[in-house]
Amino acid sequence: MIELSHVSKRFGDETAVDDISLRVPKGKFCALVGTSGCGKSTTLRMINRLIEHSEGDIILDGQAIDAYDPVKLRRRIGYVIQHTGLFPHWNVARNIGLVPRLLKWSATDVQSRVAELMHLLGLPVDEFGHKYPHQLSGGQAQRVGVARALAADPDILLMDEPFGALDPITREKLQDELAKLQARLHKTVVFVTHDMDEALKLADHLVVMREGRIVQQGSPLALLQSPADPFVESLLGGLERGLKQAALTRVKDHMTSMGPTLPAQSRIPGTFSLRQALSMMLRDHSDRLTVVDQHDVPVGELSLRRIIKEAQLDNGNPRE
Amino acid sequence: MSLMDALPTPRLRWEGWHPNVVLVSLSLIMLAAFWLLDVVSMAPNRIVLGTGHGALEAFGWPGALLATLLLSFIGILACQPTHRHYRALFAAVIVIMALMPVGLMASSYLLIDPEMPQARLGMGAAYWVVLFVLLLCLVELRLRLNLTRIWPTLWLCGVALVWWLCAAFGLETLALVQEFKARDQQFLSAVAQHIKLVGIAVSVSIILGLALAMLMRRYARLQKGAFAVLNFLQTIPSLALFGLLLAPLAWLAANVPFLAQLGVSGIGTTPALIALIGYSLLPIVRNTYTALEQVSFDTLEAAKGMGMRAGQRFWQVRLPLALPVLLEGVRITTVQAIGLTAVAALIGAGGLGTFIFQGLGQAAMDMVLLGALPILMLALVVDAGLGALAEALRPGGTR
Repeated sequence: MIELSHVSKRFGDETAVDDISLRVPKGKFCALVGTSGCGKSTTLRMINRLIEHSEGDIILDGQAIDAYDPVKLRRRIGYVIQHTGLFPHWNVARNIGLVPRLLKWSATDVQSRVAELMHLLGLPVDEFGHKYPHQLSGGQAQRVGVARALAADPDILLMDEPFGALDPITREKLQDELAKLQARLHKTVVFVTHDMDEALKLADHLVVMREGRIVQQGSPLALLQSPADPFVESLLGGLERGLKQAALTRVKDHMTSMGPTLPAQSRIPGTFSLRQALSMMLRDHSDRLTVVDQHDVPVGELSLRRIIKEAQLDNGNPRE
Repeated sequence: MSLMDALPTPRLRWEGWHPNVVLVSLSLIMLAAFWLLDVVSMAPNRIVLGTGHGALEAFGWPGALLATLLLSFIGILACQPTHRHYRALFAAVIVIMALMPVGLMASSYLLIDPEMPQARLGMGAAYWVVLFVLLLCLVELRLRLNLTRIWPTLWLCGVALVWWLCAAFGLETLALVQEFKARDQQFLSAVAQHIKLVGIAVSVSIILGLALAMLMRRYARLQKGAFAVLNFLQTIPSLALFGLLLAPLAWLAANVPFLAQLGVSGIGTTPALIALIGYSLLPIVRNTYTALEQVSFDTLEAAKGMGMRAGQRFWQVRLPLALPVLLEGVRITTVQAIGLTAVAALIGAGGLGTFIFQGLGQAAMDMVLLGALPILMLALVVDAGLGALAEALRPGGTR
């Protein structure tokens, strides 16, 4: 667990981070979102003491981080940065094995751990182990960056705009992979990004920052339903907000049982989002969809009316 | 696709015909030099200025024809520069270089009267031009073939071996060989002394330079002052520096017996080394400092964030990444020191410069060459060797 209480950071007269408090429970994914220069990266780097905070307390697993030796602290926190920070003179395997070697694992342990991680991130050891960072694509390099951060199996993972420099398609793919990885590994993650969609997609807890302060924090759905001010609303995409909210809700949580009428032609898996359902309705000119399970067996149905009603309910508006 | 692309244009006929202009021109320069300049010169003895001889006199009809064919071959192949042709060109250049001493043997046979034991053969302007232009061809071919430095260097060593063998067996009439034979022991010890001076000066500068660069990184204020002093040192002409050192060192040697015992004196090795080290420090310090500072902040920050200690970051990340640029500094310094050491002969430090200054004094150009050519070769070998090392150490092993 990571807990920041009344933390500030001043560089000379300038206040980069101003009295922020936030809590990331064990195994949760927390995203810090904001425009550049809002203090999100500074906040992240205070957690592994790359920057020392000026005021307040940062507590890690019940102990203030000032009590840790900074080097030992960093070795138990995975760290991923935007431009990967891979060592260009080391091959992929050696880059990934860095922290285990620093922790003096045996050579065979390091080797098998590296192989395990490369497998986990879809980089076959035989093909990539001996490559150097400059021989990798952006996406591959960042996978190596993530593998390196996970190498010593840290409980905590700090990610500083890890996908910021990637093209949209690769970025989305890596986001999906990270989501899957997180579902398996349950790390405590603090993730810095300026991309709200990325944050909405990945985070359990969203923290919006502006000029060194926290403007609003809460679950993605909570933020979408009631943004605290116009700034948060514009970050959340203004008019697109409804669709973004629909993207976070699964079809099977809102379907109704099959009605007496003929089932609709269009079929949608229950695991899809309401946003995808809306899109399908627009495409097929239909206001009704048949919801199916993973074996394509109909299990319920979803109507446009229902989606709109749910949205009203979620937003706390009274029913007509 | 626009309509214009589909229309035939007059230019179309010339597409696909992109001669390598550099090599074609170089080939023409060599042909012109070969036919217009003196190929060899012949002198009845050491002091008399030689008389020049053109291609026909030097090689005879068959030899001149063969040489012309070989030199034209380069230009012709360069008209269609495919990868295969470049490889052939590379081979041709090496072969021509290796054949050059054989040509000298032919001239010696044709021109020198066996009744005249003092007669000597000198390489004419055409020889030097062709040799120089062939080296330029190699530089061009190295780039075209994307070779690392080491391969041309190894081949050139092979060529040097052929020259050496020819000189040792059958080129007794060549003036250079005669100069060498007259003082072979002296020559070898001069080479040794030259290398020794350069070696000591460069190693001491590396150690001092690394230490100084480290101190500069720690104490920012030192940086400006130190660079100012080193830049100033660099601007003093070498002869002047040797002269300036003469008086204080002579005084020290006379008044401090301990230093005198160590070999300190106004002239000789000590002032030479001090001056050489003074000159060598700037490129070493500058390159070391830049090399260490240019390592990407992201990489170092990642190293810190991963939990590497300061020492680990320096030895495992900063230094290895700085090494290629650092070695570049060592290379520049060494090549510079090899040249400067020649001047050190003037204050009695020995080395190959001795022959240059003696030769100048005696108006014996071949003796000057005996000193100058090995200096040139030393510089080339060091340049290529250290350049290859720096290339090999570039991040990621491969280029």
